[in-house]
Amino acid sequence: MSMSAETAAKHKNDPAVVCCRTEAGVVISADNLEDPAIFPDLVDSGLLKLDDSVLTVGQVIGAKMTKTIDSLTPITADVVDGAKAAASEAVEAPAVPAAPVAAAAPAAGVACVNGGVLKIHIGEGKDINLEIPMGGYSAAPAVAGGAVVMPVEAAPAAAQAAVAGAAKAVRTLTKKHFKITEVKRGPETKIEGTTLYIREGIEEDAVKVDHLVKKFKIDIITPDKYNTYSETIMDVQPIATKEGEGKVGAGVTRVLDGVIMMVTGTDEGGVQIGEFGSSEGILEENIMWGRPGAPDKGEIFIKTEVVIKEHTNMERPGPLAAHKATDFVTQEIREALKKLDESLVVESEEFVQYRRPGKKKVVIVKEIMGQGAMHDNLILPVEPVGVLGGKPNVDLGNVPVVFSPLEVLDGGIHALTCIGPASKECSRHYWREPLVLEALHDEEVDLAAVVFVGSPQINAEKFYVSERVGMTVEAMDADGAFVTTEGFGNNHIDFASHIEQIGMRGIPVVGMSFCAVQGALVVGNKYMTMMVDHNKSEAGIENEVLSCNTLTKEDALRALGMLKTAMGGEEIKEAERKWNPNVKETNLEMIEKTTGAKIERPLNETSIPMSEKRKEKYSTK
Amino acid sequence: MKYGDKIIYMEGIITEVHDGAVSLDLKGRLGFMKVPMRMLITDYPLKVGQEVGFNMSFLEVLGPDANEKYVSNLDKQSNKRNNKEV
Repeated sequence: MSMSAETAAKHKNDPAVVCCRTEAGVVISADNLEDPAIFPDLVDSGLLKLDDSVLTVGQVIGAKMTKTIDSLTPITADVVDGAKAAASEAVEAPAVPAAPVAAAAPAAGVACVNGGVLKIHIGEGKDINLEIPMGGYSAAPAVAGGAVVMPVEAAPAAAQAAVAGAAKAVRTLTKKHFKITEVKRGPETKIEGTTLYIREGIEEDAVKVDHLVKKFKIDIITPDKYNTYSETIMDVQPIATKEGEGKVGAGVTRVLDGVIMMVTGTDEGGVQIGEFGSSEGILEENIMWGRPGAPDKGEIFIKTEVVIKEHTNMERPGPLAAHKATDFVTQEIREALKKLDESLVVESEEFVQYRRPGKKKVVIVKEIMGQGAMHDNLILPVEPVGVLGGKPNVDLGNVPVVFSPLEVLDGGIHALTCIGPASKECSRHYWREPLVLEALHDEEVDLAAVVFVGSPQINAEKFYVSERVGMTVEAMDADGAFVTTEGFGNNHIDFASHIEQIGMRGIPVVGMSFCAVQGALVVGNKYMTMMVDHNKSEAGIENEVLSCNTLTKEDALRALGMLKTAMGGEEIKEAERKWNPNVKETNLEMIEKTTGAKIERPLNETSIPMSEKRKEKYSTK
Repeated sequence: MKYGDKIIYMEGIITEVHDGAVSLDLKGRLGFMKVPMRMLITDYPLKVGQEVGFNMSFLEVLGPDANEKYVSNLDKQSNKRNNKEV
């Protein structure tokens, strides 16, 4: 494919390679040259060799061919006459932007997959007409640039806030924390001091919650039992309840510290619910402690093991039944929690949702799974991370639903999501979602809303919902947006589409997902220039350690820094073609340098005891 | 991986559609696969009998030893099955 004069101007310092057979005597114009965007693929496949003798696009335009050369041959000084001197371009070499580290910073956390090479070889032939639809190819060059580097110095969101009015408090959420140090079984479910008692025989009642539940068992996992076997962890949930008539997202919430609910289960045939992405095994080898969605070290787990009817583990009612049965226990604890005396509150946390007129308005779009069965979420239950009253996003058609940031942090999402242990967002993740927290507390931005959108199975539905996302964000008059997703797979198709829908409205948008090596994006578009990769694993893979590759505080800080930079009109540097984890480190260093604050780097799987299966994975790499 | 670069175009037939997964037979009696929904890209509502295409390579065994961890997980699973049958 030849280039336009405009593209050629952009690539004037890139190697000049003819796109088609070029006869001696031809005066070279952009039409004769191949678009340099595809060179990396050609070089990879051995079709093209580039060295220092190759002239640049800027040098050869206007020069005359002295020899006839075949297509895809690089132009060197011996085949042209009248090439411009190399010196001229050295002077024009783009000045390195003010951000000092940026120049050295390599690629993004996104690898390109779609950018394949179209190879056509015809040995001998006559009257050959080739018609190739190019629709699918246009995306390729854009994906390659999952840029991550940003000059943070140039993010003076505060500077634009000249007209800023006073921040306006919209609503408040108070979380009252109660400490639990011991969990025991007893004749009734109650809390005495810091001891939680769970009623003996509650199992029989939990089984009755749903006809699909066949057996129900509770294990109380204290830290000394972290080394025991567990079925795949389906979900990790906080134990919290609303005070009085309060609704999720405002008022007062009571929460137990030091204890969490953990849902696990199998079907009667012993097959894990959700079946795929198994993380069954020794608990401490399979949990990335301290991630927003995971337990913290030292916490007691009330672990349920739900056995559901055989062969229902892959149908929608199956995983839901396991969650319902677990919630039966949680609900009894909630009732006990409601009765607790105020004097037992160990900490009170207040979240205020401010609107900040005059500041850059940002919106967070969180893509959640909606393909069915365990790929589902209950939206806005009555109790934090409850079941009752929650609407499955699959039933809502996966359309965008607007949340206040406080509804997110108050357990407005009950996640059933259950594959990709390392990258899935458990219910607890939303309870302490780092991006929402950071954006909420950042006085330089006006966080308008958090929009949840499901990821349906069929492409047509994916595009349907992402168009709605575009309209929603447009209607908010947002100045910038984040789009996040969990895990990888076909949800990356709508992830890309959400970014496109927002980007085409002229709104800068930062994409956040686990990508690295295994979760490389399958599609891309020209708006996907700002990407933050959630990967923390050494090898860039789904390492089967719960929550390892989910969004953490440092990801949130990088994304915020990047979006502020873009909203401030700065350019984000293009990424390398292959995943390179160093980009992230460079970005973090730049943020630290700018803000003067130290950012804690999250640990990864190397910090926990290594299971045999992980040892195997890494030894064979 | 010694042979990882050899990519082969394969086709299969969807044999089961669940809410969370699909099963498929590879054409030519070359095997059977079950994948979670989100690993399957489709423009059309799913139906049994639809054909799928994908690129894959041969599977290579990575080492001579069985991974004790997985063996023990599998044993646990088959024990459960046996207990249920009794």
